[in-house]
Amino acid sequence: MSRRRTWRSLPVVHQLRQSVGLQRGMLVTGLVLTGLLVLTALLAPLLAPYGFSQLRGPDGTFGAQQAPSADHLLGTTVGGYDVLSRVLYGTRTALFVIVVAIVLSIVAGVLLGLVSGYLGGWLDRVLVVVADAVYAFPSLLLAIVAAIVISGGQSSLVGGVLAAAVSITVVFVPQYFRVVRAETVRIKNEAFVESARVVGTSTWRIMTRHVLRNATRSLPLIVTLNASEAILTLAGLGFLGFGIQPTAAAEWGYDLNRSIADVTSGIWWTSIFPGAAIVLTVLGLTLVGESLNDLADPRLRSRRRAADAPPPADVAVTPGGGLAAGTDGSTP
Amino acid sequence: MTTATQDPAPPAEDAPAGRRRRRGGGLGSYLLVRALLIIPTVFILVTTVFFLMRTTGDPITAALGGRLPADQLAERIREAGYDRPLLVQYLDYLGGLLRGDFGTTLSDRRPVTDVLVTYGAATLELTVYSMAVALLVGIPLGMVAARLRDRFPDAALRFFAIFCYATPVFFAGLLLKLVFSVWLGWLPVAGRVSTRGELQLTRGDTHTGIYLIDAISTGDGELVGEVLRYAVLPSLALGLLTAGVFLRLVRTNMIGTLGSGYVEAARSRGVAESRLVRKHAYRPALVPIITVIGLQIALVLSGAVLTETTFEWRGLGFQLGQYLQARDFVAVQGIVALLAVIVALTNFVVDVVAALIDPRVRYS
Amino acid sequence: MQRRTTRVLAASAASLTALSLAACGSGDDNGGGGSGGGDSLLIGTSDKITTIDPAGSYDNGSFAVMNQVYPFLMNTPLGSPDVEPDIAESAEFTSPTEYTVTLKDGLTFANGNELTSSDVVFTFQRQLAINDPNGPASLLYNLDSVEATDDTTVVFTLKTENDQLFPQILSSPAGPIVDEDVFSADALTPDDEIVAGEAFAGPYSITDYTINSLVSYTANPDYQGLLGAPKTENVDVKYYTDASNLKLDIEQGNIDVAFRSLSATDIDDLRGNDDVEVVDGPGGEIRYIVFNFNTQPFGATTAEADPAKALAVRQAVADLIDREEIADQVYKGTYTPLYSYVPDGLTGATTPLESLYGDGEGGPDADKAAQTLSAAGVQTPVQLSLQYSNDHYGPSSGDEYALIKDQLEATGLFTVDLQTTEWTQYTEDRVADVYPAYQLGWFPDYSDADNYLTPFFLDGGFLGNHYSNAQVDQMITQQASTPDEAARQELIEQIQQTVAEDLSTVPYLQGSQVAVVRSGVTGVSDTLDASFKFRYGALSAS
Repeated sequence: MSRRRTWRSLPVVHQLRQSVGLQRGMLVTGLVLTGLLVLTALLAPLLAPYGFSQLRGPDGTFGAQQAPSADHLLGTTVGGYDVLSRVLYGTRTALFVIVVAIVLSIVAGVLLGLVSGYLGGWLDRVLVVVADAVYAFPSLLLAIVAAIVISGGQSSLVGGVLAAAVSITVVFVPQYFRVVRAETVRIKNEAFVESARVVGTSTWRIMTRHVLRNATRSLPLIVTLNASEAILTLAGLGFLGFGIQPTAAAEWGYDLNRSIADVTSGIWWTSIFPGAAIVLTVLGLTLVGESLNDLADPRLRSRRRAADAPPPADVAVTPGGGLAAGTDGSTP
Repeated sequence: MTTATQDPAPPAEDAPAGRRRRRGGGLGSYLLVRALLIIPTVFILVTTVFFLMRTTGDPITAALGGRLPADQLAERIREAGYDRPLLVQYLDYLGGLLRGDFGTTLSDRRPVTDVLVTYGAATLELTVYSMAVALLVGIPLGMVAARLRDRFPDAALRFFAIFCYATPVFFAGLLLKLVFSVWLGWLPVAGRVSTRGELQLTRGDTHTGIYLIDAISTGDGELVGEVLRYAVLPSLALGLLTAGVFLRLVRTNMIGTLGSGYVEAARSRGVAESRLVRKHAYRPALVPIITVIGLQIALVLSGAVLTETTFEWRGLGFQLGQYLQARDFVAVQGIVALLAVIVALTNFVVDVVAALIDPRVRYS
Repeated sequence: MQRRTTRVLAASAASLTALSLAACGSGDDNGGGGSGGGDSLLIGTSDKITTIDPAGSYDNGSFAVMNQVYPFLMNTPLGSPDVEPDIAESAEFTSPTEYTVTLKDGLTFANGNELTSSDVVFTFQRQLAINDPNGPASLLYNLDSVEATDDTTVVFTLKTENDQLFPQILSSPAGPIVDEDVFSADALTPDDEIVAGEAFAGPYSITDYTINSLVSYTANPDYQGLLGAPKTENVDVKYYTDASNLKLDIEQGNIDVAFRSLSATDIDDLRGNDDVEVVDGPGGEIRYIVFNFNTQPFGATTAEADPAKALAVRQAVADLIDREEIADQVYKGTYTPLYSYVPDGLTGATTPLESLYGDGEGGPDADKAAQTLSAAGVQTPVQLSLQYSNDHYGPSSGDEYALIKDQLEATGLFTVDLQTTEWTQYTEDRVADVYPAYQLGWFPDYSDADNYLTPFFLDGGFLGNHYSNAQVDQMITQQASTPDEAARQELIEQIQQTVAEDLSTVPYLQGSQVAVVRSGVTGVSDTLDASFKFRYGALSAS
């Protein structure tokens, strides 16, 4: 029985049960789209008719910019690749980048946040100002510079993907840092920590546990939002030509970049499909994020209460908007 | 667009901590602290970009690496002073900045200040247009969504908002081009004005760099129309992205205020629903929106890099891309410094506005 | 406000109509017409200008402008890669190390200043004095001193004897003649000052100048050089950064001529369009794979060093590359197969790789490659690391190399590890022996076969791939000072043959110059020659 309850109180599942009507519809749509992304990524080799960097079939090369046909359901790209295969394999790159970027940012952000909030003083102030600066900055530019620096050497298969993930991480770290730091500072002064200190328990351990427990409440929300940001940043990098090469991995932003010239010649299939893949992926993740946000905000869940401050996380869902939360939250 | 990530720090949790640290500061000292913070923010960004850019290679190698033997290349790098210790170059650069000297771009030899003024005007123009699109689309639709909450139009509008956000600005740009320029042939593909128009503008008397103003001053109606036609697609691409943000924000805040105590009270007094929306819910809901409009600057600036690239709109974002390719670090640093100042200033203004509107902010 | 705007509109209706007529007409059969016989042309390009000061730039975009507005002592006439006197009356070696140029009488700049031998001396001394890192001063490597003996005579003293390339160099980016009253002697002169000072004595002078955006030219009546008077009085050039926008503008008739660089897809699309004409000419750009003789498979510093095996590997690559397929699939004919080191169109170009490798007719031959490898005792598949730059030779490099990898691997003879590196790092790595085999491209400084040989294959060249052949070195040095044209050409042909046997590099593509014009615009094919200088003056809208 208690096990069942645990299962039901898991994040996302809990919210799914809690939701009704339209909100449930949005959440379910989001979850389905995201599920599809993950499934496609796992099954890409089975689903895709060709390899993502395959140029040649049994009858010679595929040919460039072939219109959709029985052999190539979505046509071929300017480089002579099969569009369908690249769109499908693109999910792998997307998922890989999301996972790496988020794991790296959480680890770095949480550690820095804990240290900064716990130790306080000079180090804390410097970290906060640095985080603020990075945070306030047009993130795409930061990602571009990071991408150049990171991939400056060789771009091996995994290297290219990692470069994108790491450059996205640079942008995300301050977000986790803020949340964790604020929580740490708050808890540090709570009575139970004081008392623990008196009893002689390691305050560090207590804090870590409490901070993390509290942080996990808002984690699914931040993660989904950052996941969609990661996809958009990756695509933006690829589009500007700072992305992954076609023989290393299939990446939608790169394919879009290469399709610019096709568009002016009326060749639509090379841009529509990778573009649609990006939109669907981000749509799915954002729907999940937004639903979680609605459910977490009592005003949006019911009409009972009201507050006049803007709902924090809602602002957060959207790019740029989050700055509002940023500026008043972190002034040292 | 897409990547302007800034995000989710729940201020509610942050607030108590802040309160403890800065007990009872007055408005004056609060503003002073905020103003002073602009300096380290800009400094950090400029420094970071300086060092990052230097690690990515020098412009001479970028330009001539494929042509010259290694020793000649090294010689040229030495002549240009790029082999000096980084710290010396850095201090040199900072010294220049303090004297108001941003340097001269390496790839096309223009004073950076000149670049900033010329392209800044273009970016400003695009920003204003797209902001107008965003507000005109976002606010009314957000209000509609809030009023018809949980009904079909609300669902459709919310989907629309998320859709706007989920579509990368460059993909939206490609689609708009494909449909309106290539298939329908209604609107120009890219640029800010046709070449003939540009000639007319260069020969005109006013050179603000904001084409609409320059065109109006030539008194040529057709030219004005042309300038506006060129602006339609880029403004839509960038504006719709932001429109999604506004729609959601307006909806959320309207719902909040419609459900608040005094609106309930008014409702119980029998005030008509339409009047409730207009008088009681609309205005309070606008307060945070005004704040967010300011904050969208950072988003728009990021979006501008991609929008300007897609539509060849020669603004700061577009140039930034060009200079990055050429490893022209002087130019990149100049643009970055300007962007950093703009973002920091906007944040400051927003803080001031927020503090003036809501006294509680000063203490938190 | 709105009402007021409307009024202003009405008031200016007259001028508006005139302007818009001129604007609309150009795409069709109307050349603009009207006063002073001045017709006009609108040219679009995706070139980029660095500066129009000849001492400060060494790139296609800037040189394209200089070719319109500055005169040269020596220049190539339309349709030929070989130089003749431009604003000079005569130019010749008066002693083995003295090259004497006599100017025409009464030359002037557009601003009225006289163009005399002192401007010429100023021009070259200035190049050497400024020696800008981005400038072309290095081309004057053989110039010892220059002096004026009278108002129209200039004597260049050279370091080596009978330098056959010097006349070519006078037509290169180091050669535009500038006005000593406008240009600074020891520093670069800002573009705006050059334009304001009208320091132009070429076929055109610039009237309006917005860097990398719009440049307006008007014919310079004072020009008396080789190229003759421009056929079109006024030319405006619009600079694009996105080639696809350039394509749409030519397609929709917003511009009359599009030159450099449309994407292959766009050109292919435009070939099927009746309103425009796509004109091809030979191009000077070449693409090739460089082998590092030390680190390539079986290279000198590898564990299993063996020159014979190393050569077999290079030969097998040359046998397997299907140039036609790359040119067609990736570049849609905007690049053509290249079978030599000196591209087609230049005096002395031959095609040794066509008969030596592949099926002997330019196609690939897998069996021959397999034989070559097994005859040398090389075990297959050969592991080959191949590197390319994704950001320097255009967006299609990725596709180009994916296809090369595919061609090499399809036969099972090679396993290719394809990698890409960002350009600045790439240039450092390639000379540090990091890449066993890698992509490079080349655009000539001047249109002489020597420019495709000396920098590459003479010991100490910029490739740094450890290729060295004493016989080649000797022939290269010799041809540079052989005054007899036929003898020199024979040497150049021999060099190509010898290097083709050694395979220091495997050349595979030659870029075409492609211009797209609206129907009615003539003269483009006249200027798309192997001098690689695009002269606006050759064009006219009929």
